[in-house]
Amino acid sequence: MPPRLSGKLSQLPTFSLGGYLNQFEVQTRNFGIKSLNTPKPSRFNVGPGLPILESTSTAALLRKANSLPLRTGAIGIKKGMTAVYDPETGKRTACTVLQLDRVEVVSHKTRQKHGYWAVQVGAGWKHPKNVTKAMLGHFSSQGLSPKRHIFEFRVKDESGLLPVGASIQANWFQEGQFVDARSNSKGKGFAGVMKRHGFHGQDRSHGVSLTHRSMGSSGQGQGGGSRVYPGKKMAGNMGNHQNTVQNLKILKVDAEAGIVVVSGAVSGPKGCTVRIQDAIKKPWPRIEAEALPADATA
Amino acid sequence: MASLPTMRPLGCLRSLLRTREAMQPNLNCRWISTAYSKRPERVPLPQTSPNNSFLRFPSDSNRKMVTPKPVKIYPAPPSARKACKDPIAKVTESQLQVLDPKGERKALFDYRRNPRSVKPGDIIRVTFKNGDPFNGVVLSIRLRGIDTSVLLRNELTRVAVEMSVKVFSPNVQGVEIVERAKRKPRRARLYYMRSRKHDRRSVENVVAAYVRQKKAFMSGRRQ
Repeated sequence: MPPRLSGKLSQLPTFSLGGYLNQFEVQTRNFGIKSLNTPKPSRFNVGPGLPILESTSTAALLRKANSLPLRTGAIGIKKGMTAVYDPETGKRTACTVLQLDRVEVVSHKTRQKHGYWAVQVGAGWKHPKNVTKAMLGHFSSQGLSPKRHIFEFRVKDESGLLPVGASIQANWFQEGQFVDARSNSKGKGFAGVMKRHGFHGQDRSHGVSLTHRSMGSSGQGQGGGSRVYPGKKMAGNMGNHQNTVQNLKILKVDAEAGIVVVSGAVSGPKGCTVRIQDAIKKPWPRIEAEALPADATA
Repeated sequence: MASLPTMRPLGCLRSLLRTREAMQPNLNCRWISTAYSKRPERVPLPQTSPNNSFLRFPSDSNRKMVTPKPVKIYPAPPSARKACKDPIAKVTESQLQVLDPKGERKALFDYRRNPRSVKPGDIIRVTFKNGDPFNGVVLSIRLRGIDTSVLLRNELTRVAVEMSVKVFSPNVQGVEIVERAKRKPRRARLYYMRSRKHDRRSVENVVAAYVRQKKAFMSGRRQ
């Protein structure tokens, strides 16, 4: 308990020497100018040395980093399917033949400017007459011919950005490595629920009339809110949507002919564009020096 | 209409009204007319202006500077698509070079071009690297490049058996023609042989005789 002054002393005017001295220690010279925007502590818990907030783009990129390939992919054209035999074991593997045609890096997407790291890759050739002037400028500013197909391949960081103008040959992929193939599936047009979602349809008879292949009920009445929930499976356009087939093995590579043979099937009809990139669910391939493409001449 | 006759006498006032309208035009009315107005005279450029200020005024000489340059179009690099028009054929070819370097197997089943090839209706014997040989009547030959196959039919233990053999599979060691078809069938696919009436039933005894003969021939040659 602190000692208490007697009643008379406490009523005396307080005089402390310490407070008087402090005035001399703090030497602030104001000159009568005050900042309008005085530094204030941030409302948010951010700053150097603090953990990154979960709801920021930086944290989002960090979360995504483990599932982003280290290097760019390539655009291939699906040429059809065939089979490959292993002469030793006699095992037959069904495979899809893809062809890379004039695949070149067109531009980059950077964290600073666009918010993410990606390589924009173009393939094929398009007559300049059929290319808009804006796109024509985009290509010619990089010293490239107009491309028919353009796609982006996201990469983990800056080190995955292949120089603009670099051409990606078939030997960008190594035999034995795994890739993910992304393409649009075959379009089926407007399809009913039985074909599109595998509904069972209704009876052939037992009083069913004219609704043998229809979807039946679309939900409850009053008990379910008297409405159709979003995402209800109904009849509609089927196919021609993007599909990714993961972990396809590269069986054969031919740089001159631009041939990449991958195991198994790839979505889409013959002649469709297929985007192939290192498989995200397999260890990244070891990149050999010879596989690196020659730098752009421009 | 009934009031018309009474209005008639007042018809003479109409002309009077008309003159009144001419004097006081209806202000609510809108008019569209092309009025002649004098062309505004050109204001001369100020003489006492800084040197580069003329760029702000549009003139023919300045417009030339604004016209965009034509976009330079670069030539396309050499095309892999042109270099290899049929990639599937190329992949098949490279496979066949390993699996069938002399092209014997291909010729043996190319029944459309090679007269000495296996034909539908023939009895053949296929030996495998691992496992028993399979004998049967050729029902069909499916020519699909590396996936070329033959469908064989036989009867084993009184049960009809069919087997599709991939011709270029490394597991297929050899193919022998045991017996040619007695008459050239009129079809390429002899699926009618599955019906009871046309079924060839077991070919085992035919093949056994062939094997015996072959063995005797081989042993005779050896001596």
